[in-house]
Amino acid sequence: MTMLRIRNLGVRFGGVVALHGVSLDLNRGEILGLIGPNGAGKTTLFNCISGVVQPSEGTIHFEGRSLRFAPPHERARRGIARTFQNLQLWGSMTVLENLQVPIDAVGRRNTLSDALGLPLSHYAERSARERARAILHVLDLDGYTQRLAADLPAGIQRRVELGRALAMQPKLVLLDEPAAGLDAGETEHLAQLLHKVRERFRVSMLLVDHDMSLVMRVCDYIYVLDFGKVLSRGEPAAVRNDQNVIAAYLGEATPELAEPEPGPTVVTGLPRTDAVEVARASGRLLEVSGLAAGYGRLEVIRDIDLTVQAGEVVACIGANGAGKTTTLRAISGVVRPRAGRVVFAGRDIAGANPERISRMGLAHIPEGRGLFPRLSVEDTLRLATDTSGKPENLAAAFDVFPRLKQRRRQAVGTLSGGEQQMVAMARAILVQPRLLMIDEMSQGLAPTIVRQLFQMIDVFRSQGIAVLLVEQFVESALAVADRAYIFEHGSIAHEAAAEELRRDRSVIAGSYLGTAAAAPGDAIEVASNGNGHHKRITDPQLMEILSMRVPAEVKRALEERAEREGRSAGALALELLEGVDR
Amino acid sequence: MPGHVTRFAMAIVAFAILARLPVGLDTGFQFDAALALIWGFGILSLVVLTGYAGQVSLCQATFAGVAAYGAGMTVSSLHGGYLLGIVAGVFAATVLGVIVGLPALRLHGITLAIVTLGIALVFDKYVFQDHLFDWFTGGTGGWQVTNASIFGISVDSREHLLAAYDILLALFCLVAVLLVNLHQSGAGRRFRAIRDSELAASTMGVNLTRYKLLAFAISAGIAGLGGSFYPLIAGSVSPQPFWVFTSLQLAAIGVLMGVRYVPAAALGGMFMAVVPDVLTRYGHGTFMSRFNYDISYDWFQIAVGVLLVLQLILMPDGVWGDLRARAAAMRIRPVKKVRPA
Repeated sequence: MTMLRIRNLGVRFGGVVALHGVSLDLNRGEILGLIGPNGAGKTTLFNCISGVVQPSEGTIHFEGRSLRFAPPHERARRGIARTFQNLQLWGSMTVLENLQVPIDAVGRRNTLSDALGLPLSHYAERSARERARAILHVLDLDGYTQRLAADLPAGIQRRVELGRALAMQPKLVLLDEPAAGLDAGETEHLAQLLHKVRERFRVSMLLVDHDMSLVMRVCDYIYVLDFGKVLSRGEPAAVRNDQNVIAAYLGEATPELAEPEPGPTVVTGLPRTDAVEVARASGRLLEVSGLAAGYGRLEVIRDIDLTVQAGEVVACIGANGAGKTTTLRAISGVVRPRAGRVVFAGRDIAGANPERISRMGLAHIPEGRGLFPRLSVEDTLRLATDTSGKPENLAAAFDVFPRLKQRRRQAVGTLSGGEQQMVAMARAILVQPRLLMIDEMSQGLAPTIVRQLFQMIDVFRSQGIAVLLVEQFVESALAVADRAYIFEHGSIAHEAAAEELRRDRSVIAGSYLGTAAAAPGDAIEVASNGNGHHKRITDPQLMEILSMRVPAEVKRALEERAEREGRSAGALALELLEGVDR
Repeated sequence: MPGHVTRFAMAIVAFAILARLPVGLDTGFQFDAALALIWGFGILSLVVLTGYAGQVSLCQATFAGVAAYGAGMTVSSLHGGYLLGIVAGVFAATVLGVIVGLPALRLHGITLAIVTLGIALVFDKYVFQDHLFDWFTGGTGGWQVTNASIFGISVDSREHLLAAYDILLALFCLVAVLLVNLHQSGAGRRFRAIRDSELAASTMGVNLTRYKLLAFAISAGIAGLGGSFYPLIAGSVSPQPFWVFTSLQLAAIGVLMGVRYVPAAALGGMFMAVVPDVLTRYGHGTFMSRFNYDISYDWFQIAVGVLLVLQLILMPDGVWGDLRARAAAMRIRPVKKVRPA
């Protein structure tokens, strides 16, 4: 039976068409996937369904009734709950209270009786708390009931948001990027959880996510959006093989499995200019030794030793919470270092003001890009040149990012995620930095855009700018970087040439596993980094790590072959990799 | 968090202690004590509106003023009992609260602040002070309120100021307890949900229109409850106590003391009523028989500004919020240190 029926939905923001002629059917009990590149209109569609945005045309029917005149809270009471891409928990309330609000909304409580503390309210209050506890129990959140939502790590907050949506006793849950910011282990856990939730709470789901492996695994049916239109729809297997989808979403064909790794790819075709040679010859640009920093009572990083040569691209990789972001912040002065030296261009800058450090030619693009959403592209760039005292030459930025020239008058907040990252990068290079630090450049972006951005890094290098990257796409980061540091638990565990790490993946695998939660599956013994240190790795974890977010096709091919040969996919992958090594 | 019974017990103890405070003081300080409660109500109204529901208002003194004029008019012109006057005053303030709440359905933050400030200005200049409304406001002299009584207790300001103070205090303690209950209740959670994220609140079934208007109505009613006692304790009504600057001061001192916390309202009210009076009384003289000084009321306003800046830096959650957090931190600290063997 069709639960949600959308016909010919269109949304325009000013002149921008966000959705056009979108029709969609969702059956009871189904998990429907919604994928597409950044700016395809997925979140806009969610906003239309939950009533936050009014469509310009088209109809939405839920359980046979039109939602046209229903305000958001009315839709929620009819059974549509949602989560948010950028978390919207009520931070100053406890986890339990966060779940009680929707429970109350369904139960329709009396305000006067609440304030007077009448027995009626006591009873309702107690049963609401019990329900909330039961939901938290299913989601493995028992330990967090009395914690303030704002104090929790992002991964837990995502799960609390799911719990809050379920507290509504919904019939349909809209999940907006539930896997964003989760590491491999957590994503794995999420996939299992979603199936469990469907069984236990009997809900249908509409799921938006960039993690293709999650979508393919969890969903029964998939819609692909591109430029506000439905590009394709079908079962996961059919969508995966649809050439149009691959072209739109992945940008290009994916490499074959077990093919020898290509050497450093010359993506831009630009010759390395003399500037690079000059920069290289001048030696160490950034030298960090014994750096420690933290927040409040918490020490996040310690004993960090790190160098960046002029004109070099260096990657920082490691599991979530390993201290990569804090290291960048301590270097750029956003967080005050507690110990250690940071020598940049021959001067100790530890503890200096962030703006003084940036004037010395050290640019920092923070996680989330740090843009002002209401400023236009042009004003954003001008602001950077004004405050740095460098001559205003926006043409330089537009040469590198021609796309921004077309959008120069548009407010930054209305750009797609990829374009926003371009603005952030353009702003950084306008102040003519000698070192550019980029934190999670590719977070939340579609693979096509990510590829373009990585090409830009190669361009920066050819212009003599050194780059220090913190990156979740390990493969892509290693492809562009000269060297890499692997972070574990707040310090640097390994340092190696990127080339080397690409060949011997066990080092990275070991480092990621150090913090990943144990999951059931076949355990395999893996030797890590030749120091005799052995780690037990479970099969699903290994799959996740070995693939390092390689496209779903590659993983799928591996799994299919493993199934044909009747072996565990992890063992097969390991064997193939070793074959490459020899 | 203490339960309902404990809260009521705490309120009764607070009443017993605070009721003793002004006994034996001169009339001036007794008046200050009663005035402190009126401004306490004003800050309490911001605790609901700003502290709980996250809405901004710079016209709380206007609500109090409308209630004061409503009560004064009922008693003097219509010859109603004072109780009726209070009911009329609170009703008028609540109605105005809902009207002011309407723009809040669309506006946020600074825009809402400007709109409410505009409302305060309009009432100050063109209602309370304008001759056009003399029939309503009683002109510059307002009304004389004499022989007022509530429940048969004479509360005339000239002889029984303390009786009026006690009734006001009892009401204050009651409203304070109700507000703490409200904070912990379902409605309180809905208010706080709106404060933390309106987007999430609306998509999780909270009716924004209803709860924003409700917050404004409750808030204006509380401010009005305090204001409706003003003619009683002062013996007359005049525009001056309810002008724009009082609204600003209520907001500033509310934030200074901790706008999320009910007890901060009592502190704030006391601060706002007593300190200026002390300054005007004792703020001038000669120091060490050489230096003449004169710290007038103007200095109070400067002091509020300076304190506000210091508070925002040192105690971002307000004086009461900070003290509370410190007390909680002391409690967690282990009692005994483990000695190494």
